[in-house]
Amino acid sequence: MSHSRTVVGVIGCVALAAAITLAGCAPREEPSRAVTDTAALPPPVDDFRHEAPRGEARRIVSLNPATTELLVALGAADRLVGRTSWDLYTPAVRRARDLGNGIRPNVEAVLETRPDLVILYGSEDNVIAARRFRDAGVATLSLKLDRIGQLERAALLVGAAVGQEGRARVVVDSVHRTLDSVRAAVEGKPRLRAFWHVWDAPIITIGRGSFLHELVEIAGGENVYDDVSTPSPRVELEDIARRDPAVVLAGPVGARRIRSEQRWRAVRAVRNGRVLVVDTNLVARPSVRLGEAAVSLARLLHPGSL
Amino acid sequence: MIAHRAWHWPAAVAVLLLAAALGIAFGTVRLSLAEVMAGAVGTGDPLHVTIVQALRGPRVLLAALVGAGLAMSGASLQGVLRNGLAEPYLLGVSGGAAVGAVLAYAAGYSGYGLLAVAAFAGSLTAVGATVLAARAAGHGARGDPRTLLMAGVVVGAFANAAIMIALANAPGNTVRSALWWMMGSASDATWATGAALALMLSVAGGALVAGARDIDALALGDEAAAALGVDVDRAAPRIYLLASLVAAATVAAVGLVGFVGLIVPHLVRAAGIRRHRALLLAAAIVGATLVIAADTVARVALPPAELPLGAVTAILGVPFFLAQLRRFRA
Repeated sequence: MSHSRTVVGVIGCVALAAAITLAGCAPREEPSRAVTDTAALPPPVDDFRHEAPRGEARRIVSLNPATTELLVALGAADRLVGRTSWDLYTPAVRRARDLGNGIRPNVEAVLETRPDLVILYGSEDNVIAARRFRDAGVATLSLKLDRIGQLERAALLVGAAVGQEGRARVVVDSVHRTLDSVRAAVEGKPRLRAFWHVWDAPIITIGRGSFLHELVEIAGGENVYDDVSTPSPRVELEDIARRDPAVVLAGPVGARRIRSEQRWRAVRAVRNGRVLVVDTNLVARPSVRLGEAAVSLARLLHPGSL
Repeated sequence: MIAHRAWHWPAAVAVLLLAAALGIAFGTVRLSLAEVMAGAVGTGDPLHVTIVQALRGPRVLLAALVGAGLAMSGASLQGVLRNGLAEPYLLGVSGGAAVGAVLAYAAGYSGYGLLAVAAFAGSLTAVGATVLAARAAGHGARGDPRTLLMAGVVVGAFANAAIMIALANAPGNTVRSALWWMMGSASDATWATGAALALMLSVAGGALVAGARDIDALALGDEAAAALGVDVDRAAPRIYLLASLVAAATVAAVGLVGFVGLIVPHLVRAAGIRRHRALLLAAAIVGATLVIAADTVARVALPPAELPLGAVTAILGVPFFLAQLRRFRA
């Protein structure tokens, strides 16, 4: 029984807790990477350091909207048996079972779809779910996909797991080519200082850690909060006014609020009517539509450039 | 008030076993009785075996242990402090555990081994601070119960402030995880966490039951207890610490689950049980039943989502409590 060893481990942990002996007690199952052979490259691993599955998964559960989009682009949408509540793009995707928001998934509900591959968002709160799926004999692939730079690896690993590596390369290439063409189109143009309005109460914007920040920079803008490293910092209206962006980017609902609320008139761009409406569906995910998203942003920031 | 009769015990155990059976039979996936049985013995569909043996079984065990621990902890503290509003988190267990958990999440260590250790260490630190503060205020080693309560409230307030500051600028992932933890859930249960909690409970809970006579005496007042030969200055702090240790172990396993430790002892007393040895054991049985039932409801109410265990416990318990209210003596 594989249980017994963990039992001893955890009992040990709790017993030692009184003495606060923390070291070496984290029972995280991580296949050690140190013991790889000299000859062969180590097999690729996912963000939980589990060996990435290879093959042709037939019953796929994707619990991250960004990877669901990838699967659609790889032509694997009809193999999807489970998805998150947010995945509504293409009817084939919608037919898959809605398994909730994708974080801390209901393991029973996921297993009931009898998947042979579960793709998870690679954040810490999914570690235990991933372990449970693997214990039940289901392959898992846990990936963080929050930045443009993470797309290539994620696409190739997902491609390998569903037998579409070649197509994955094509998808990545086309995204990168589109991004390059956007960069070229806005080159030499004055960089527009932009504030991105994500949320209203509290006011949340984007920092350097967000792929939206990267998109703004690619599309010829300059994020006024590029000094903040977290992806979605909370900010104060006065500070936004002080940073004095040339434009405010917001979704349709946010833009309406900004235009109608008196307090936002503290920001000069708002007084000057420089509130630009972003297609929030297009820019919601750092996935295969990143290229399109960059194009639409560049058209907003630099009309006529593309 | 109904008298406490001998048949209450087997009846309570039967209800507990029934709750456990229902907890294993019901969940997101609908299983027939035959499928549940096959899953339990390990034959049958591997999916059903996984669901029964790896998912529901450990959850029911953990829920039972958490309920039992919280109820025993609450019953002990209410007795020693002679205060019906005392509950397991009184001495800072919840606040301290939450600080530990939030720090663990913020540092990126949420794999459950370290999270549990951090929460456990946080609770014990807070309880230590509370007891030391009360002791520093004088009134002997036991401290005045009112001083102790106040110290617990203040340590709790400090912990809350620390949590709010830590979360105010934390990334969304950390806030989400911390909030989830604070609402309580048995969803991460494994046989290993169950075994660890069982070990803690049998040691600390066993010590409480073994020393139940001291609680009986202390419940009469310090002078009466001293007249009965109890060393008040040693017995009272020992019970505070054991009760907090039990609560801290449950919190490390499932996060914060309120209500059980406060209300279950009253329900048991309403059934006529006064002596603390019987009271602790009965509270353990009733607490276990309540939390198993709450966890089952949390799983089946809104699939595939799961409700927070602490909230369901209160929602199930409050009507029951109100129905019993007329039986309580002041």
